[in-house]
Amino acid sequence: MLPEGMYYFSGNDASAEGALAAGCRFYAGYPITPSSELMERMAARLREIGGVFVQMEDEIASISAVIGAAWAGAKAMTATSGPGFSLMQEAIGYAAFTETPCVVVDVQRAGPCTGQATKVGAGDIMQARWGSHGDYQVIALSPWSVQEMYDLTVRAFNLAERFRVPAMLLADEAVAHLRETIKISDAKEIWDRKKRTGASPFGTDEEDGVPPMPAFGEGERLAVTGSTHDDWGFRKTDDPDVHARLVARINEKVLRQEQAIGETESSFLEDADTAVIAYGFTARTSLYAVKQLRKEGLKVGLLRLKTLWPFPESAVGRAGGCVKRILVPEMNRGQVAGEVRKCVRCDVEPLGLTNGEVVPPDAITDALRRMAR
Amino acid sequence: MPGITQVRWCGFGGQGVVLAGLLLGQAGVLQGRYVAGSNSYGAQARGSGCKSEVVFSDGPIDFPHLTTADILVTMSQAAYDQYCTDVVPGGLIVYDAPHVTPRKGPDARQVGIPATDAALNKLRNKQAANIVLLGALVEMTSLVSPSAVERAIGQHGGGRFLKPNLEAFNTGREMGRQVHG
Repeated sequence: MLPEGMYYFSGNDASAEGALAAGCRFYAGYPITPSSELMERMAARLREIGGVFVQMEDEIASISAVIGAAWAGAKAMTATSGPGFSLMQEAIGYAAFTETPCVVVDVQRAGPCTGQATKVGAGDIMQARWGSHGDYQVIALSPWSVQEMYDLTVRAFNLAERFRVPAMLLADEAVAHLRETIKISDAKEIWDRKKRTGASPFGTDEEDGVPPMPAFGEGERLAVTGSTHDDWGFRKTDDPDVHARLVARINEKVLRQEQAIGETESSFLEDADTAVIAYGFTARTSLYAVKQLRKEGLKVGLLRLKTLWPFPESAVGRAGGCVKRILVPEMNRGQVAGEVRKCVRCDVEPLGLTNGEVVPPDAITDALRRMAR
Repeated sequence: MPGITQVRWCGFGGQGVVLAGLLLGQAGVLQGRYVAGSNSYGAQARGSGCKSEVVFSDGPIDFPHLTTADILVTMSQAAYDQYCTDVVPGGLIVYDAPHVTPRKGPDARQVGIPATDAALNKLRNKQAANIVLLGALVEMTSLVSPSAVERAIGQHGGGRFLKPNLEAFNTGREMGRQVHG
């Protein structure tokens, strides 16, 4: 691991180092702008520290290799951008249903489709949540700085291991290509998946609903299938009770922990009558705009979402109960604004920009001044 | 955000714009300053517009992108034309003379440094023009110290590139000193 200290890293560099610090020893991927530097760093670093790096033929193979590595006992990850993330969705559903811990970094760019490959966007928020079919849960985190590209990658691994769920780092091009000083410290909490000899790998009586997870080769009887399965992994494709129980558990084990998983950060909200709710790079711009307007005497504040899925309903609901109106700036056409509306009764105004650029400070200050009138 | 200096470095992809920004930022970090660097480039590996922006601050940086440049370094006419008016009054514009022709208008000190020509004729390495400009910029401003840039070059442009990079840097410093007096 890197020695403790200060480093001038890009977000992609920082995420790769965070993964290694969290114990990631397997990376499979297919390069794509704006995430390629992450893969490049993993190629060099995994070789240095004795991990496995594979450049796959495409993103479908990449996520599939990651899932296989997880069942071989490794902490595994891949990184991509929107077009590759689309290709990965089927296997992400497989990972969710087979309760496979893995980390997917999606460095969002301007979509849809190939879009503008080198430009920024945040249009994958809903895809991260609903990209595969059926009812399932994932965890998705939203970094706003290079430091958080590191810290939240560590957290993504910890949450994936703790809840046996695909965890995503929903970064954006602006944060991934930003270079800043970050502090790397040895003091961090690392989670590893539970193991218990003889325990069923797909059912548990434990309150958290997360069964222990053996790896192939450890001597446990293990079958992994994307078909509905009982506690021991046997296919049960026509038993309604087994299906209902399994689908309920893989959802509830995440949703019940919404407050523990959901991290948010408040700034200037105590006396605010207008809140900005933002995430990723846009939250950074929002804080800058809020500070400008505070100097003008406007009572504005910021609720920053560090977790996007499960959606931090409790924190958003509390913020919505204290203000008259909410502005949601984002680099898409209102994907999170719609979620905010579900949690609050006050007015919610989306400020969605999809021009391949970051939301500029002026757009946020102008909107807030207009709303205050 | 106290004591902020914003540098925009731009040109074409392939001219080393991103590396120049990286070295500038890394040098600032080595001197203990808060730095935020960002790059923007087109989908093509070479030939499309490219810029690298570095924000230096004495304190934590809220908005890490550049708002208005204090210093603009241009390695192409297209970049000059696009950004020459987005410089603070009294700022500094450094351009690659004679490949970039300045115009009247910007309320800034405009300095031509024949970086590409020096790289071609003196160093026999066109790729070094970015480092020549970096050397000149360091002499013309108190942005970062020469020794910090040399250390940054050791970190990011080392190995077999170390010697030619340091040679280019020193060539640029000499040119910068002549301008700066």
